[in-house]
Amino acid sequence: MSRARGGSGRVVRLGPRSALVLAFASLAGLMMFVWPLLVRVEPQSMQHGPDAPFVFVAILPVLILIVLAELSEGGMDAKALALLGVLSAVNAALRPLGAGVAGIETVFFLLVLAGRVFGAGFGFVLGCTSLFASALLTAGVGPWLPFQMLSSAWIGMGAGLLPRRVTGKAEIAMLVGYGIVVAYLFGFLMNLWFWPFITGAEVDYHDGHISYVPGAPVLDNLRRFAVFTLLTSTAGWDTGRAITNTAAILVLGPAVLATLRRAARRASHGLLPTFGDAGPASARSARPRRGADAPTCARTGNGMARTVNDRTANARQHEVGQPIRGQRSNYQGDS
Amino acid sequence: MRATYFLPRDLHPAAWWLWALGLAVAASRTTNPWLLLTIIAVAGYVVAARRGAAPWALAFRMYLYLAGCIVCLRVFFRLVFGGAEGTTILLRLPEIPLPAWAAGIRLFGAVSAESLLGGLYDGLRLAAVVVCLGAANALANPKRLLKAMPPALYEMGTAVVVALSVFPQLAESVLRVRRARKLRGGANHRRLRALHAIVIPVLEDALDRSLRLAASMDSRGYGRAALVRPRQRVATGVLMVLGLIGVCVGGYATLDGSTPRLLAGPVLVLGVVVGLLGFHLAGRRVQRTRYRPDRWRPPEVVVVLSGVGVAVTLFATSTVDPTNLNPSLLTLSWPALSWPPLVGVLLGVLPAWLSPPPAPPHAGAGHDAEEVSA
Amino acid sequence: MIELRQVTFWYHGQPEPVLSDVNLSIGEGELVLVAGRTGAGKSTLLGTVNGLVPHFTGGHLDGAVAVAGVLTRSRPPREFAHLVGVVGQDPLAGFVTDTVEEELAYGMEQLGLPPQVMRRRVEETLDLLGIADLRRRALRGLSGGQQQRVAIGSVLTTHPRVLVLDEPTSALDPTAAEDVLATLARLVQDLGTTVLMAEHRMERVVPFADRVVYVAGGGRVVDGSPSAMLRDMPVAPPIVELGRLAGWEPLPLSVRDARRLAAGLRADLGAPPPRPVPTGETLLTSSDVVVRYGATVAVRGVDLDLHAGTVLALMGRNGSGKSSLLWALQGSGPRQGGTVRVGGVDPGQRSSAQARTLVGLVPQTASDLLYLETVADECAAADAESGAATGTCRTLLDRLAPGIDPARHPRDLSEGQRLALVLAVQLAAAPRVVLLDEPTRGLDYTAKHALAGMIRTLTGEGRAVVVATHDVEFVAAVADRVVVMAEGEVVSDGPTAEVLGGSPAFAPQVAKVLGADWLTVEDVRTALAEVAR
Repeated sequence: MSRARGGSGRVVRLGPRSALVLAFASLAGLMMFVWPLLVRVEPQSMQHGPDAPFVFVAILPVLILIVLAELSEGGMDAKALALLGVLSAVNAALRPLGAGVAGIETVFFLLVLAGRVFGAGFGFVLGCTSLFASALLTAGVGPWLPFQMLSSAWIGMGAGLLPRRVTGKAEIAMLVGYGIVVAYLFGFLMNLWFWPFITGAEVDYHDGHISYVPGAPVLDNLRRFAVFTLLTSTAGWDTGRAITNTAAILVLGPAVLATLRRAARRASHGLLPTFGDAGPASARSARPRRGADAPTCARTGNGMARTVNDRTANARQHEVGQPIRGQRSNYQGDS
Repeated sequence: MRATYFLPRDLHPAAWWLWALGLAVAASRTTNPWLLLTIIAVAGYVVAARRGAAPWALAFRMYLYLAGCIVCLRVFFRLVFGGAEGTTILLRLPEIPLPAWAAGIRLFGAVSAESLLGGLYDGLRLAAVVVCLGAANALANPKRLLKAMPPALYEMGTAVVVALSVFPQLAESVLRVRRARKLRGGANHRRLRALHAIVIPVLEDALDRSLRLAASMDSRGYGRAALVRPRQRVATGVLMVLGLIGVCVGGYATLDGSTPRLLAGPVLVLGVVVGLLGFHLAGRRVQRTRYRPDRWRPPEVVVVLSGVGVAVTLFATSTVDPTNLNPSLLTLSWPALSWPPLVGVLLGVLPAWLSPPPAPPHAGAGHDAEEVSA
Repeated sequence: MIELRQVTFWYHGQPEPVLSDVNLSIGEGELVLVAGRTGAGKSTLLGTVNGLVPHFTGGHLDGAVAVAGVLTRSRPPREFAHLVGVVGQDPLAGFVTDTVEEELAYGMEQLGLPPQVMRRRVEETLDLLGIADLRRRALRGLSGGQQQRVAIGSVLTTHPRVLVLDEPTSALDPTAAEDVLATLARLVQDLGTTVLMAEHRMERVVPFADRVVYVAGGGRVVDGSPSAMLRDMPVAPPIVELGRLAGWEPLPLSVRDARRLAAGLRADLGAPPPRPVPTGETLLTSSDVVVRYGATVAVRGVDLDLHAGTVLALMGRNGSGKSSLLWALQGSGPRQGGTVRVGGVDPGQRSSAQARTLVGLVPQTASDLLYLETVADECAAADAESGAATGTCRTLLDRLAPGIDPARHPRDLSEGQRLALVLAVQLAAAPRVVLLDEPTRGLDYTAKHALAGMIRTLTGEGRAVVVATHDVEFVAAVADRVVVMAEGEVVSDGPTAEVLGGSPAFAPQVAKVLGADWLTVEDVRTALAEVAR
């Protein structure tokens, strides 16, 4: 278990505190997505129903700000950041290559694969930055943006939380399954928060059968919503997205995973440098990797930095600190 | 001061956003079509008067199309799914009953004028909000907006800056690889296979680039942190977690009308405030300065005040005369319009004259900008 | 200023150290040239100076590296930003922002300098590098030379005491390279910063270098005065090789020095060897080729014939239409007018799979063609694409660059090996005409030598080869015929000696010393051997 966690938290560290913040923010965020189903209004406090969506639209960006601040507070080194920026740009650049029906699908495919390789924390942040950068490039900033950002962040994070041990064909199958699920889930969530806005909720003179009724039983609203989403988007957009996800992961998945893993290996994320003594004699004797040690080092395995460090015999030589903490905190003593 | 007031320059992006949000909030308060059309006209006029030649400025048209679509969609929904409320039946379409699982839902049927008008008013309101956001997107320079990121989001801001500057290079790289594909006889392959041959080289290119970029950033001092005491880090974490718990509780209470009202509004606000405090504290660790930051000068204040003014007048007048802001649909009548809200909305057009014109485009910059949008 | 004491460095998983027991002491204000083959460890040596090695790259470092008395092991590279400025090969890859002014300010923002200081230093740096008129331009729209000058400026704004430059001109064309080197030369005189620089155009740097550090490979590093070091370094500019051949003392380090010494040699040499211009059958004829992109005309009615067994060099500044012409000849690029015939067939009219059996093109960024995970996979795919027998591509590759491990990732190959792989992939379709677009970019002397060998193999098999390049020395060594383009038109066309020797811009170093008839050191060597006999 600790091996798996170590591997997934490699690029953007996800400590217990970050995980806690992330969990609460996700809970609050989820509430803001599914509020139409949760609203229970007393007849006399009817005015709170209509206000809720606007309050939530204002609060959701704040939630995202806090989570992102927490994730980068734990320390994000230049490598992770450059990777983040460049992959966000790739997501934006690959959009025109999509099937042409709906723009967003290719973003998900790379998001899922990157989340899988670089871990949950990175997936979460990549989901946010990809959508944000893409919105800036297309001048598409609006109240929908925080919702898009948060749901794609969840998609990236979820991909990072999938079981690590699965490899090979099973891994691709798992990712394809995940891709299909998130394609529909994304459409569902995005429809849900916007549903009352588009069909009209708070207007008392109208009682359409697919529109939202504040305070109605959950199941009733859910059924109305299901019909709405089925009629408007499930057949077209969501299924299109699911098909693109499936096809892209099946065809490109293995190669892209290999490419990303190679990049992770080359960037040696999480591998801390080691130092020997200045004296030539001790340098020879403390030299850790020759012969039998070499294969161990070639493998960029989880917890490997620890292995190397432990083998660098003398503890007093570890000026750079213990391998598990983020880099930033290691140097605080010096700065 | 007076001499420099109207010198051409780009206004602080946040000023435009606050102005546009003021208009949007105002639009969300009313369903009066005259007021909504005035708001759309005001936003459109200011955009026409004060936008630059950058690509994001050209996106305003897309928002107008989007707004049109929203109005049509809203009316269309009323047409298809039950538009029978009201007495003035305009036309009768054949009714199509849906299967049992969707009990209670019918398609088409009688369509009433009240129902269609209701759809039109609602749609117009949403459309006005969308147009206001479009105006903000068109007027505010997104790159300057990134420069104004709060310190706690310094890393994220940098990542997005990197994404924006790498994007055009990658778009080029996609075109290049696509062209090179032909040299290997790529046209014969199935589409997905060809996609493979494009995506992989582009991705490899991008990942190589990220490593070189990281080395460059590292050696140029990126991420030099201030000394953060452990106690401060703990405080940051505690504030953030407490704030989020507050938001969770407050949010739930807002939705559930049966919980005490004290848990709703106050706790929600408290949670947000505490969370933002933690956010602010998290920004303390970042120790860097900004080159030529956007400053708040009188024009920015004027722009913001005009936007806020619009929102405030509509809130004020709605308590005085709600019928004017939300015309009744129970009896069909021509929507009335009274002066106070109209004057209030017209406040929003002031920035068209009381803000400096945008800086002229620089040689080369325009060319670059076009490619970004392509 | 910079102190390396008994430095030994291993990358993770490498059994042999890249640097082994290196001792180096560089004083304040010195300019040190770092030389060595690609892959010998130059970049690693330079990386140790600000701690990127090992903090960024990972690995194990023995010994101590100190800059201005600060040990790199004690701090991460970012804490050296105010001490050491680093400029890499590809300026565009290192840019964080997207306009000139912001890029110049980026480093200072990280150091937290006050806004007034930043503003002043940006203005000073703009003037210092002569880029004031570019201040608001987008970095991407600048020429390579301008970009590299901005990159240098962006590290100078933090007023570093050491400047580390890792092959700053290797990705640039000669004009841009001259531009950057001239700027650097002036900076060194004006600022008195300590400079550590790897550069393969040694002849441009050696005249004002105080010291040369030679990274010999196998971890060995030797240093000494320029003339002493150049005497027996395996990598040397043609001028030094000529000096060694003629036994000149002291060894000339610039064309001017050499010319003063050359009178005797010129008298010894006698008549230059005849350069036969082979005239094989005509494989490709083209006439009146026009390529336009909207209103911009890239190629303006060019006639060109290619003959079997000959190498044609296509020269001219960037944007003169070289690449557009090559793409049009191959058939994949746009062509708005004129005719191209290869064996009576127009490749532009054929499918791209057929066109590549007629004409093979290796584009400027050769790696764009590679998308699989191993060399073996690429070769197999190439065989399948070309309908060639299994193993064709691999055989070709072994002939061009023997001994490449089939299991390696194509991206991990050296620049020269990757070029050979792409060439082999293209040759698998058995085209008789081969076009190479800028193949020498980023190659060092050794790799260029290998490339010249590959090209000779191709012509030996009766193919026609076109090389679009800026590299005068390379052209002098391989080409039979040279075509110079400007603004989409052919401005000169003739045998190599005629076109290169007479032109002040294109003359190779040997021609500058000995006169227009002598193009390469090899020519002189054969002539001397002739005389001796």
